[in-house]
Amino acid sequence: MAAAKTRTSSFSRNLSAAAPSQGPGLKCGPNGTVFLSSGISDLDKILGGGFPLGSLVMVMEDAEAPHHMLLLRNFMSQGLVHNQPLLYASPAIDPRGFLGTLPSPAASKDEKSHKHDPDQEKGLRIAWQYKKYFGESQLNFDGQRDGKHEYSNEFDLRKPLERHFLSAQRVDCVSIQDSPNLSALQDRSATFLSQYPRNDGSISCAGRIAIQSFSAPQCAYSNMEWDMLSFIRSLKSMVRSSNAVALITFPPSLLSPSFCKRWQHMADTLLSVKAIPDEDKELSQLLTGYQDMVGFLNVHKVARINTQVPVILDATTFSIKLQKRRFLVLECLNQAPVDGSSGTSYGTSGSCSGSSKTGNLDF
Amino acid sequence: MAESICRALRDGALEGEHAPALTIKDSIASPFGFHVFCHVLSQLSSFILAGKSQSGGLVVVSFSRSPSFYLELLKNKGIDVVSSDKRIQILDCYSDPLGWKDRLIEAGNFTALSHEASNSSTANVLKDVKHMDKLYNSIVERGKGLIGGGKNRFSVAIDSVDEMSRHASTSSVAGLLSNLRSHDQVSSIFWLLHSDLHEARVAAVLEYLSSMVTSLEPLHQPANGHRGDLENLSLIEHNLKKGKFHVRIKRRNGRVRVMSEEVHIEQSGISFTSLSSEGAINQGLVPKVQFSLELSEKERIDRANVVLPFEHQGNGKPIQIYDGRRSLADSKHERQVAATEKVQTNEDSGGGEIIYFRDSDDEMPDSDEDPDDDLDI
Repeated sequence: MAAAKTRTSSFSRNLSAAAPSQGPGLKCGPNGTVFLSSGISDLDKILGGGFPLGSLVMVMEDAEAPHHMLLLRNFMSQGLVHNQPLLYASPAIDPRGFLGTLPSPAASKDEKSHKHDPDQEKGLRIAWQYKKYFGESQLNFDGQRDGKHEYSNEFDLRKPLERHFLSAQRVDCVSIQDSPNLSALQDRSATFLSQYPRNDGSISCAGRIAIQSFSAPQCAYSNMEWDMLSFIRSLKSMVRSSNAVALITFPPSLLSPSFCKRWQHMADTLLSVKAIPDEDKELSQLLTGYQDMVGFLNVHKVARINTQVPVILDATTFSIKLQKRRFLVLECLNQAPVDGSSGTSYGTSGSCSGSSKTGNLDF
Repeated sequence: MAESICRALRDGALEGEHAPALTIKDSIASPFGFHVFCHVLSQLSSFILAGKSQSGGLVVVSFSRSPSFYLELLKNKGIDVVSSDKRIQILDCYSDPLGWKDRLIEAGNFTALSHEASNSSTANVLKDVKHMDKLYNSIVERGKGLIGGGKNRFSVAIDSVDEMSRHASTSSVAGLLSNLRSHDQVSSIFWLLHSDLHEARVAAVLEYLSSMVTSLEPLHQPANGHRGDLENLSLIEHNLKKGKFHVRIKRRNGRVRVMSEEVHIEQSGISFTSLSSEGAINQGLVPKVQFSLELSEKERIDRANVVLPFEHQGNGKPIQIYDGRRSLADSKHERQVAATEKVQTNEDSGGGEIIYFRDSDDEMPDSDEDPDDDLDI
């Protein structure tokens, strides 16, 4: 192994030559994990590559903002663009209607502002000791830009996905509003996941499950908290032994606090979205770019399968912005240059429960 | 602001979107929820009758008041429901919600009393409110009857969700409301909730389902829970006439607009005024630094008492400046103190003190002065 390549762990899987033939939808990562994209390239970078196959992703909604729908839409569209079959469950009476709102990939990445990066690099003289960091990110960039089939597409939220992606063999929809218990959904998930069993051979295809607003109040089972918990547990174990990723969004404010905590522990990757108040003078003084922000995304947990080493992120709170009202972008929060603010306005650092509805910001 | 809420309900839903839904929430400390509901109802009715709103009709589902109350209310506002019954219908869930009268008649123990038959065109008695699907169907039926088919829409006003929750489970009530919201022909929907009649979860569920939440709070919180105190009684009385009206609007771009107003209840109705600022804004003006820039009261008094070593304090009388050459007791003589004097021995006037001779010869020059000024050339 060449010494120039940085390895993040001392164990590396002996990947056979069959691995690259997985196609553009899957990417190999360290420790033998295979990633699929979340549909948002910024989120993939934050999570270290994407969602690993076999993991359960849970998103805590904010009752006051529909940002979890942005995450869901990008996730579902990405799967359809990469020919990864999808099972979608939602509390609406007609879930198929939601498919019409899925975004389409943007025209092409070359048009975006990447082109002025090489020009900038020539002008920059990077000190020699920092060149090793720069080289790594360059590697990632190049890997993503070749060919039309990219691992992670940029989705244009104003353009609906083309009809041919939404054919019945790729998308299966379930309405969970009227079912009195979860056995129907469990059976559907089981049959879906049985098509993508995990074995040591090469991965032919990966599947995606998206469940929207799992504990929505209009669902008949929504007060059966233990049943919902056991459904999540069985889904997690089914997903773990298959080549699929399941994404569940739920509103934590409608659950009792102890169950909210239990659900959070169930997740492999835990995210939460939060609304921001409109025309808030304090926030606009505190943060740059406040006008463009539509919400916050918090990363509470990142899935680590096959490894004991935890991920420690530089930042856990990101702002959600819509560039030109079309492209979803996640950015680190930047404090505006104000005369030194004290620690009191920040409170405690990073609380885990998304169920607090206070106006305070916990960074 | 109440105006923006009524406007949002008037404008209704965009194509492919859920209808805007308003929750009016109050509690015993500030029980004006019903007044706000009536205000919104009359505003929306006048918009509908004037043809300014997206919806062409209004279905009022009345649980806690009899339909005649609403007829009276709208008549007082200048809206004659009977003549315009093509636009406003009242679904009567108040008179006989569980169908007891029919059952009593069947049992043979009861002779039927004549109902208010004259209002039968506007009121439709619903006798089975336990089943939310039936309620849903009746609401939709009435609404469609109002506006006909096609692209027209109607609005729904639900008198009190509390009564609905008494008869049915939370999930079925939530199902009814969300199905109404997502119905193609519903333009807007609003309902009233008394938050202290339920567990916290019910209020959370309704807030989850709505796009605008207004809550009423008392202007002044009583100091402690004792209601017998005279002070608290006057506060409570005050609270029965005025209150704070908070609004949280969920905007389409995902941001939440938070607004507050004051609300006054008068004989003629309800009025909204902007909140008198009570100093809550000042906190934002002080820059957040690590030092405490404020002075406490004692510190302020002490600061005022310090005698400053200036030529005069602005009192009109000349001040004796303590320059170390006289004791303080001599300062009663009104003498101007000369700027320069010879050095004299200072009298000891107490324990620790600062020995300072103003403009004395062995005073070190200030560091920012030119040291060459001392040279006598």
